[in-house]
Amino acid sequence: MTVLRSNWAVVLANILVPLGILVFSSGFFPYKPLLPGLATFDEVGQDATPAIFDKVVFMVVDALRSDFVYSDESGFSFTQSLIRSGAAVPFTAHASSPTVTMPRLKAMTTGSVPSFLDVILNIAESDTTSTLAYQDTWLAQLRARGDRLVMYGDDTWLKLFPGMFDRADGTTSFFVSDFFEVDNNVTRHIPDELAQSDWSALIMHYLGLDHIGHKAGPRSPFMLFKQREMDDVVNTIYTAIQQQEHLQSTLFVLCGDHGMNEAGNHGGSSAGETSPALLFMSPKFEILGNRAESPIKTPEDLRFYQTVEQADITATLAGLLGLPIPMNSLGVFIPVFLDMWETGTQKLQLLSRNAQQLLNIVKSTFPDATFDPQTSSCCELDTLSGIEGAQCAWSRAHRLSSLEKLTEDVFSDAGPALLRFSRIAQEVMSNTASNYDLSRLCFGLLALAVAVILLLPTIYQEISQAVSAGVFLTFMVIGYGCMMFASSYVEEEQQFWYWICSGWIVYLHVRSKSSRPRSHGKTGLFSFCITMLATLGLIISQRILRRWNQTGQKFTAEPDIARAFFAEHPVVLWGLIIVTYMDSGFHLFLNLPSAALSWLVSLVLPTLAFIFKLNFVANDSPELLANSFLAKVVETWPDDLSLVFQARLVFGGLACCSLLAVLCKKHTQHTQTSNTYLHEVVHLFLMTQSRATNVPLFLIFRLQATLFSSLDLTGIEVTVTTLIQQYMTFFAFGGSNAISSVDLSSAYNGIGSYSVALVGVLTFVSNWAGPIWWISMSHLLRPRVTSKDNHDSAALLTFHVATSLVSVMAACTALRTHLFIWTVFSPKYLYSMAWATANHVIVNLLGGIGFASLWSRK
Amino acid sequence: MASPTSSPVAVNSPTPYQAPAEKPSAPPVNILASPIARTYSYVHPIVLLTLGVFRFEAVVSNPVEELLSDLPWLALLQIEEKKKAAPRSPSGPTVTLRPGKPGLRRKQSAGKHDWAGVWAKLMPAFMSLALTTLLATPVLAALLVLFGAPLTTHNAETLLCGAHMALLSATGLVYTHGVDSAVWKEVWGISRPADAVWGAALGTGLGAWFGAIPIPLDWDRPWQAFPITILAGAYIGSAVGSLISRTPFLYGKRIQFAPEEADEDEKKTN
Repeated sequence: MTVLRSNWAVVLANILVPLGILVFSSGFFPYKPLLPGLATFDEVGQDATPAIFDKVVFMVVDALRSDFVYSDESGFSFTQSLIRSGAAVPFTAHASSPTVTMPRLKAMTTGSVPSFLDVILNIAESDTTSTLAYQDTWLAQLRARGDRLVMYGDDTWLKLFPGMFDRADGTTSFFVSDFFEVDNNVTRHIPDELAQSDWSALIMHYLGLDHIGHKAGPRSPFMLFKQREMDDVVNTIYTAIQQQEHLQSTLFVLCGDHGMNEAGNHGGSSAGETSPALLFMSPKFEILGNRAESPIKTPEDLRFYQTVEQADITATLAGLLGLPIPMNSLGVFIPVFLDMWETGTQKLQLLSRNAQQLLNIVKSTFPDATFDPQTSSCCELDTLSGIEGAQCAWSRAHRLSSLEKLTEDVFSDAGPALLRFSRIAQEVMSNTASNYDLSRLCFGLLALAVAVILLLPTIYQEISQAVSAGVFLTFMVIGYGCMMFASSYVEEEQQFWYWICSGWIVYLHVRSKSSRPRSHGKTGLFSFCITMLATLGLIISQRILRRWNQTGQKFTAEPDIARAFFAEHPVVLWGLIIVTYMDSGFHLFLNLPSAALSWLVSLVLPTLAFIFKLNFVANDSPELLANSFLAKVVETWPDDLSLVFQARLVFGGLACCSLLAVLCKKHTQHTQTSNTYLHEVVHLFLMTQSRATNVPLFLIFRLQATLFSSLDLTGIEVTVTTLIQQYMTFFAFGGSNAISSVDLSSAYNGIGSYSVALVGVLTFVSNWAGPIWWISMSHLLRPRVTSKDNHDSAALLTFHVATSLVSVMAACTALRTHLFIWTVFSPKYLYSMAWATANHVIVNLLGGIGFASLWSRK
Repeated sequence: MASPTSSPVAVNSPTPYQAPAEKPSAPPVNILASPIARTYSYVHPIVLLTLGVFRFEAVVSNPVEELLSDLPWLALLQIEEKKKAAPRSPSGPTVTLRPGKPGLRRKQSAGKHDWAGVWAKLMPAFMSLALTTLLATPVLAALLVLFGAPLTTHNAETLLCGAHMALLSATGLVYTHGVDSAVWKEVWGISRPADAVWGAALGTGLGAWFGAIPIPLDWDRPWQAFPITILAGAYIGSAVGSLISRTPFLYGKRIQFAPEEADEDEKKTN
């Protein structure tokens, strides 16, 4: 109703918001120019440095953090024996942020540093624009040589390299609850493939370990079993390499694509997330005499042994397999392996080819920089940085390596100089900010600024009608805007909302005191007690909410209710969950438009939803059921009812209910009842889409909504209250501004096969469950429309969204060279996009219009 | 850990205070007229702040011990200031008892006639300290927890923080108003008219609320630990509140939020 009454300025502003986001995004996430084509050897190339290996087994274990392999608590006992014998050369491969699978695979195969855009494409996986089919990779180089490749495991590879593999069997990475089947599907192919001799690259990508991390964290009891299972796979392959004739010259690489943090998630840039293990294994490496101690104690920063960049894998593989280094690679050949070649000439040849290839990239990125050895012959390398440093290092390396004909002793001087240049070039190129399109950034910002200005008259009117609430709102909007420029406040955004919420409750407390001055006697005392209890209840409940899920960065490891308390007291959790479902059924019963069906629906639907939740938990995180009576109940159930079917049953029931509500609308006069009923349907849907430990939160919401309604809020107060509650509950559910906190566990409820749209909607609903609940509640809390109350909630909400976007965009533009731009500010921008488009425009405004048009027809 | 914040917000421009028809509670209090009282009432907040700055290092290095050992001194200072500058608790014989709520008062005033003037002078001081310790400290500590102070850890810090805040805010209120329930109702509803005593109390709470702001920053400084910024905010807030609320611009005004039904933006008073 409110939306329909909005004036043209609000409508225009809401058109400008997505438009501005679009323009800004196109300038902020630019397409990176790449050198086209495949690299080739120049005339002398290959003969000088013969290939050491002709086959490679490339085994990726998703989220294989360094300590999972190297520490003294690891299950990789066979692999550790190889490290001790020198047959395995261990590294920690630094994975730069974003630490999610697809960008990491791009880094490992192309050797380049992927752009942030790949994170979004990683979630919208089926997108084909991210394919590497036309890019230069070591796979493409092998293919170009006429070799055959086979691939088993994560189907991201199949999407990245369509048509690349002769034999392949993909597994989907999104069913996070599957720990074992997903890996058995890879392992069962190994004996057959090891017996074949037609392939020169066997790629395997195991997902089970990452799934365990997402579900239960790195300390899960499943973890050790999984490590032992992976160790057995390594044993099988290494033994085959030792024993079988046709595998004699096979390089075996074991690596993780990224690590995980202590919560088992990844995407950010903490030490755990950026430190995956990397091992090169072959009996041939024993001649290097590189015997390392293993297992060793876990260092603080998880950097075991030598640390290399993930991009170095490409350059090293290319060198060892006798391939040209892919054109866009920023990798530096790992110097340990230089001793696999005998002569200094060969080693020098390898390094200078690597340096030359890097020089080409640097030149194409910095067309103005001259790499003429004459002009910068004398320079102090230690004092220069960036591109000047690279120029200086190149001139020195060039001078040393081209002085005479390549001889043995030249290598000892020129080798380190070339390596030095390569490292500097790698650093310069990795740190070079992507080429932002500044004019588009400004246009996007301008569009949002215009939207804010358009809204100002309406907002001024609103504020002058209700000064105190208006001043609080202004304070909040300004405070929130300033906060977006400080990285730690962005990381700890929940603290702001908890803080503001406690302030707002005090406001409501004071306001309710002063709005009831004239009540006397019993009613006066009664209402005094009511408001006092209401504010007390509100402040206590918000205190419980803020401790429910610890989130953010700084305090994320502290104990909280959802992970620490419920893990120890599963009976309390399940008691609360059962009460929550019973409460939902009771409210459905109260509000059902058709009396005949009410018993049936209000009993059956919550029961179905509860059974689904119980089975989901039994499947996903059985530790929450451990030793409780429900675990025994679940065991007795037949297995043939799939989770997908159960979820569909619940969703179908909910759809029927809402349809019923619309149809019965014609017969009832009480719109409020119908609205409440629809809210109850949404309530149950959101419960289905939330993690089990978060389900009791809905009980608290119910209590809070009752308390708020007892305070007789005015229109603007309802808007501010529900706005604060939306943001606060988003964080109380465990959300944060880090990519790694996106909760995917409920994204596949009722879905049999991958579908971007459905998974996207379900992911949004499960992460924004709290905000959606409060948006739906705001329609019920709002006072009945009177002629006097011309409050425009759409204008206020749009104003908040537009101002927060302006500040986030301004922060991203001003701080685009900041160290944290890709780890803090860009993720925040992505979250703001979701808040503005999905939560504000679609759920809030379009949902509101739908609601209004449905019920206003009399 | 959640960011601990404390006590009330009042983001509003106070409205003119009009003498209402049914005004039951005590009017704003004036600082005593003597020059010593005037001067001392200005010096006192500054002394408090200076001492706070002086002991800051010690609080950072060992909060519990230092806050505990500061308590008696703070109590002494607060009482001294009130004795010198603030008008005495109205539980004395000069104040007429209001009908309807005689309970608590009668007990106190019962002894008044039998004892000498010394006791009459000591009584408010003693009472304000006792009430501060027994009532205001636990209430403020509980409020601190409700506003986000840790519940499972740092209990000693929370209690001491509450005690300091109680001395800064409640001591003065008890000293000047005793247990006048109308006044305390107003305090609970944050609607006292502004004066030095109420200004200090409100400033303590507001300052503590704003004191939570630096805690989430990633500076990793030792002073970002829980009670320190909150207390610093409370001390600054109390000093500022006590100083600015006695200025003619604010004196006697109340924080009040208009019920929106009164569809003008003029606000009602009690």
